[in-house]
Amino acid sequence: MPAKRIIACLDVKNGRVVKGVRFEGLRDTGDPATCALQYCREGIDELVMLDVSATLEGRLASLQTVERISSEIDIPLTVGGGVRGEDDAIAILDAGADKVALNTAAVAEPAVLQRLASRYGSQCIVLSIDARRVNGGYQVATRSATQTTGQDALQWARIGAALGAGEILLTAIDRDGTLKGFDLALIADFSRALDVPLIASGGARNADSFADALAAGADAALAASVFHDGLLSVAAVKQRCRERAIGVRP
Amino acid sequence: MSVGILALGAANSRSLVHALRRAGADAVILERPEQLPAIGALVLPGVANVGYLIQELDRGNWRTPLLAAIGNGLPTLGICAGFQLLCTRSEEAPELPALGIFCGTVTKLRGEKIPHMGWSRAEATTSAFESGWAYFAHSYAPPAALRETLAITQCGAAFASAAGTGNVIGVQFHPERSGEYGARLLQRLVRMAREPIHAG
Repeated sequence: MPAKRIIACLDVKNGRVVKGVRFEGLRDTGDPATCALQYCREGIDELVMLDVSATLEGRLASLQTVERISSEIDIPLTVGGGVRGEDDAIAILDAGADKVALNTAAVAEPAVLQRLASRYGSQCIVLSIDARRVNGGYQVATRSATQTTGQDALQWARIGAALGAGEILLTAIDRDGTLKGFDLALIADFSRALDVPLIASGGARNADSFADALAAGADAALAASVFHDGLLSVAAVKQRCRERAIGVRP
Repeated sequence: MSVGILALGAANSRSLVHALRRAGADAVILERPEQLPAIGALVLPGVANVGYLIQELDRGNWRTPLLAAIGNGLPTLGICAGFQLLCTRSEEAPELPALGIFCGTVTKLRGEKIPHMGWSRAEATTSAFESGWAYFAHSYAPPAALRETLAITQCGAAFASAAGTGNVIGVQFHPERSGEYGARLLQRLVRMAREPIHAG
């Protein structure tokens, strides 16, 4: 079993990090490459860059931003946002991403997962699922969580993994940015039912909330706001995980 | 010193170009076998299905000149599926023979969650290699019992996370994304790089 991972997410719009621009502190701008390098130095295990407006604007994630981040860092980079199919995925990988995340496009045409996995291998394909709580269950939402599809989120995760997604990035929409803690019941359900790694996202609050998510079965816990806003350091999160006997990379 | 990357259409060559630049080398993506004599070292990267890589290898008529260059002492690093390409064959594409520099069959991992994704320890089995935390992302791996194993890693069972013979090293992890541990391995390749042989 690999170490449990702590992942920072860079939500990017128009080439800038949009969640929690720091008005004071060490990082004085929301420049994605600068943030990425800073996280790297702080011991983050992996980075995800999501171009949050790409799908709604009908374009692909900014390749220039991908290239700039990739050239700076020596840890893995996953990129998502506006990926419509194979050509977009290839463009993102060619720009320097190590893994590509698909969300809306995979819902629209699930076979794209299979085609990408057969060329690049499952380990390169992340299925991003935005899950919204509806009537006690969780449904898949697409287009930056502006549309709910009616499809059961866990069923979709199983199908996605069977088609070739090598990892599931599960965002609890109702927790996103709320600092209320991860949705532990959702994480436990998914972790039990899936045999691919699970990245939990949405609701990160304090160091214990990360340990909670990892203890509930997530293989990695992802956050944006708490890191960008300087509410929490990567070192503090890892320290707390170690205190709770959760194996993390030093 | 230029290091050639035999991408064969696999992904993430760009990450590698950047990492090699940080290690002090100019990286060139190879497009034709005729370029082989002009490089000082070679990287076989691999974010790819190994069957796809083998087919691309033969489609581009790389197999013979590549084996000749490696046989001639070209320092070579295989990464992930590129390491698997250096083995005899893989369960992922059993009908396709790989390069056979490391004698062993690549098998599917049997861990709790597959792919093996994230940071694990590569534990050196010889003083000629360094142990450390490395980033892995794979579902198949060469067997721990390769004759040339340099390091092993646990995922369900142990597999070879590094192997080496003469001028060839294969690693199952991604040195381009394994922090300083990975950077030191790329620096080692760059130090091994030789002056290019002039073609003809």
